[in-house]
Amino acid sequence: MALLQEIQVPLLAVNDTTLTVVDVAYPNGQHIKKGDIILVFETSKTTYEVMAEVDGFVQYLCEAGRDYDVNQVVAKIFSTDAEVLKEPIAAKQDLTAQIQEVKQHIVNAWTGDTLYSVEALRLIESLHIDKSAFKGRDFVTRQDVEELKGINGIANKKIAAPPVTATPKKAIAPVDNSKVIIERLSSNKKREIEFLSPVQSTGLTSTINVTVNTEGIFVHLNRSLKYFKNSLLPVIMYETARLLQKYPALNGYFTGDGIAFYKQVNVGFAVDIDKGLKVLKISNSAEKTLADIEENIMALSTRYLDETLQLEDLTDITFTITDLSSEGVAFFRPLINMMNSGILGISAIDDKLQRCTLSCTFDHRVTEGKMVATFLKELANRLESYRATNHIYPVKDIICYKCSKSLADELGDVGFVKSITPEGKEGYICQSCLKGF
Amino acid sequence: MQSVSKTISHRIIKEAIRIRRVEEKFLELFSSGKLNGTVHTCVGQEFSAVAFAGQLKKKDFIFSNHRCHGHYIAFTGDIRGLLAELLGKASGVSGGIGSSQHLCNKNFYSNGIQGGIVPVAAGYALGNKLRGDDSIGIVFIGDGTLGEGALYETMNIISKWEIPLLIVCENNLYAQSTPQHINLAGDIVSRATAFGIETFEGDTWDPEFLINKAQGAIDYVRSSKKPGFFLVNTYRLNAHSKGDDDRAKEEVESYRNKDFLNIFSKESADYYNRYLEAINREIDELVDEILLESELPFENYYQHKEIVSDNNWSALESINKRQVELLNKFFRDKIVADDRTVFLGEDILSPYGGAFKVTKELSVLRPERVFSTPISESAITGISNGLALNGFKPLGEIMFGDFMTLAFDQIVNHASKFHHMFNKKINCPVVIRTPMGGRRGYGPTHSQTLDKFLVGIDNVKTVALNTFFDPAIIYESIFCEEHPVLVIENKTDYGKRILSNKHSHFLYERNDDAYPVARVRPAVSDPTITIVAYGGMADEMLSMLEAIFMETDLKPELIVPSLISQLPIDIITESAMATGRLLVIEEGSGYAGIGSELLASVAERVEGPIKMKRIAAYPVPIPAVKSLEHAVLPEKQRIVKEIKEIFG
Ligand SMILES: Cc1ncc(C[n+]2csc(CCOP(=O)(O)OP(=O)(O)O)c2C)c(N)n1
Ligand SMILES: [Mg+2]
Repeated sequence: MALLQEIQVPLLAVNDTTLTVVDVAYPNGQHIKKGDIILVFETSKTTYEVMAEVDGFVQYLCEAGRDYDVNQVVAKIFSTDAEVLKEPIAAKQDLTAQIQEVKQHIVNAWTGDTLYSVEALRLIESLHIDKSAFKGRDFVTRQDVEELKGINGIANKKIAAPPVTATPKKAIAPVDNSKVIIERLSSNKKREIEFLSPVQSTGLTSTINVTVNTEGIFVHLNRSLKYFKNSLLPVIMYETARLLQKYPALNGYFTGDGIAFYKQVNVGFAVDIDKGLKVLKISNSAEKTLADIEENIMALSTRYLDETLQLEDLTDITFTITDLSSEGVAFFRPLINMMNSGILGISAIDDKLQRCTLSCTFDHRVTEGKMVATFLKELANRLESYRATNHIYPVKDIICYKCSKSLADELGDVGFVKSITPEGKEGYICQSCLKGF
Repeated sequence: MQSVSKTISHRIIKEAIRIRRVEEKFLELFSSGKLNGTVHTCVGQEFSAVAFAGQLKKKDFIFSNHRCHGHYIAFTGDIRGLLAELLGKASGVSGGIGSSQHLCNKNFYSNGIQGGIVPVAAGYALGNKLRGDDSIGIVFIGDGTLGEGALYETMNIISKWEIPLLIVCENNLYAQSTPQHINLAGDIVSRATAFGIETFEGDTWDPEFLINKAQGAIDYVRSSKKPGFFLVNTYRLNAHSKGDDDRAKEEVESYRNKDFLNIFSKESADYYNRYLEAINREIDELVDEILLESELPFENYYQHKEIVSDNNWSALESINKRQVELLNKFFRDKIVADDRTVFLGEDILSPYGGAFKVTKELSVLRPERVFSTPISESAITGISNGLALNGFKPLGEIMFGDFMTLAFDQIVNHASKFHHMFNKKINCPVVIRTPMGGRRGYGPTHSQTLDKFLVGIDNVKTVALNTFFDPAIIYESIFCEEHPVLVIENKTDYGKRILSNKHSHFLYERNDDAYPVARVRPAVSDPTITIVAYGGMADEMLSMLEAIFMETDLKPELIVPSLISQLPIDIITESAMATGRLLVIEEGSGYAGIGSELLASVAERVEGPIKMKRIAAYPVPIPAVKSLEHAVLPEKQRIVKEIKEIFG
């Protein structure tokens, strides 16, 4: 008789303080072999499989579809079947209490039919819940149904029966299993919703768009940028951070009965490259140089990909910038994060029109359209000031598409000719290639 | 001045002088502030005490009233115990608890409630008769007490049942301040004659005649085993109590001159003074000694005991028998097997076997132990009290709970107090059973639940039967009790089977207390509301649990106490703290009811908020018409509605 292995919720990413169990592979008490996948967690956008390290009998302390705190024990492997308790326990709870309850409920294991209160039945009907979800219960009240569906977040003292589907908090929409296929929300998505709901749910937000003339903007910029050539993000972050000092209302949030102004500007930028949507913080952004900001973006992105982000990389963000320029969008309406009053969205640069849209969504309870319009206009002006006016192109960067000679290397005094390449692209051609030697 | 008989024994004269001197001493001590409370002296009436109490045998007994010192001294000779009692000392005959009117020693009992001791004395005498010995009893009453109903209930019964009890009526022409012509109609002796009781008469001015006549009456009662009534004409020479005397000086003076001892003191001054001196010396020495003694420590009198309920719960099983059958079965067994058992009540003889058939055929099994009484609730209870004092286990039945009011004096002033006021010398393990409750359409005077008036009687247990387990469990405990128990049965429960409607979703359990607590709770779930109900209401609740759950969205735990005079507060508090909701439902009206007591006790114990609610009958008499009766008593719709409103 021995406990051979204890499976805890792993810390897979710093900000995943809970993980969702997506698959409980065996029934309780099943004999399993070393190497069997006994449990699958979902993190951000990936899944994580837990393998048995020994042969034994598995006992689950979790249910599929529920979230568990990191370090919580969710399964055990015992040497004998007799040691296995057959009941699951509820998510996110103090473990000792749960185990005691498990023991108590083993004694009273309920195999009879389930009695529903009138209110419970009403809710079950309106949510189109399959009653088999309540198997193993003697009585089901409205609260039991709500707890099962994660509604209201009532602290549940009781062991919950296995949930079938989980819906986001408060989003109670009817589900007809004959017509739809339900896919459970990942814990990340749920958190995202949680993050965006506070400001957006009031409906008191609005978005203002401006366009920035980007013609010639990278002529000089690219020289100062080390990693992010042809990207507006660093300079927008740099300029926004400075500008926010002048527009403190956009560097704060609505408290419910007042407005909180952040004392520091910590602009965050949203990333979503395979590891889930995250907003990463550049602290004290207004004091940083463009180079610093670029360095910071680089470092944070690396940590994001390496999954070595620290808590402080993700917290205390006072304004957010979301860059969808690589997705080729013309313009979009970004959503404000909680405890922010605004967010700036960067759309793709329209190559033909040589411009890009900046969109700022703001919380009307904190500021108003006129002010945000001024903010945006000022930002656009500042960005446009980076443009190489009078077409002073950096000669080093102008290259003949035929011979690859740069303008700087040209010995003649005529310069290059702007032309259309045989592929139909814009390019340059040198006098030699154009006219021949 | 007239001359007194010279043939009367000086022993008797000495005894009378002693009584007078002791009482005069009391008045002295009272004036000097050494005596607490009150005294009623019998100065002038001493020969009545000597004639009756003095001529009884040791095995005989006496019940006396407020004016009892003479009777006590004549019967027990215990001057010391009496002096110490009135001086409030622990060595007093009642430990100083009872004082002047509450004495208890060697088959002598007194109580300050006029008339109430008469049925108790009758019960005591009945006990002697049942035991088959030839001891008899005397109960003293004053002429003013001829106004009490209990007296006539008892005279009727002692005559009918031939109980060997001699009622001695000391007619001193006054009741406290009221002269007889104001408060007495008709004739005294013919009252007894009308009941077919042998009557006797004498007076204290001719002690020799009185003593002879008294002996004759005592002999008559002993030999015939029938009651007697003796009218003693007399006069008290002192105030009713201490200084309360509005009688005409001349009237009192005329009786003073007529008083035997006064005449004797003059006619035989030598003897009188010699006797007086010796008696004074005896009394003074005793008083000096007693004054140095200590009083009863409080902890010897009362110690608080915390309620601790048993916490072993066992499953309850249905029994396919009606509650009344189980009760009847238990009583059949007891009346045969337990020699202490006596049944008294109206219409309890077979074939009728009681209004609700609980006592069916008991009178066939043991006729001499089943007494079908006249309509005399006070006497039924008083006689039961007397039987209990005499070592029996009487079960008095009050036909309808509403009639408990007529038994109330016997319960509150007698059964409840005997043990303590006599400094725990005696126990009164009386049992009074009665069916309470409505839902039978019997109307205002036959349907009420008076439990709340019964649960606050000190030293009396009030137990309510229920349909959750065999009532024999409760009665078995009652048979082991040394103190009074009132049993609340329920009219509608009688016909119900034990736990007939078990619902599979609930667990039915009881603990191991002598008066078990039953509880019903969800099979697996933790309950979310604690409901307390008992007796007939508990059965009502039992059938409602499922509906309560369905309609209120709360998972109920029902707790059913049976000892309602001492609620299992620990169990209830624990449950309420877990559920956060406490509802108590009672069939009586709510103001100052059992629910109030319960909630107050729980509130004193709990930490943290618990939502509490009482549901009770509305405070009006229970209507006979079904729809209104239904509306007045707590019923399902109202209960569900109130739960939703309060706990929703
Ligand atoms: C039930 C009851 N009612 C009233 C009293 C108050 N009380 C005490 S003695 C007494 C007068 C009793 O008169 P009686 O029976 O003639 O006795 P007596 O005092 O004359 O000896 C009264 C009214 C009482 N003790 N008990
Ligand atoms: Mg009188």
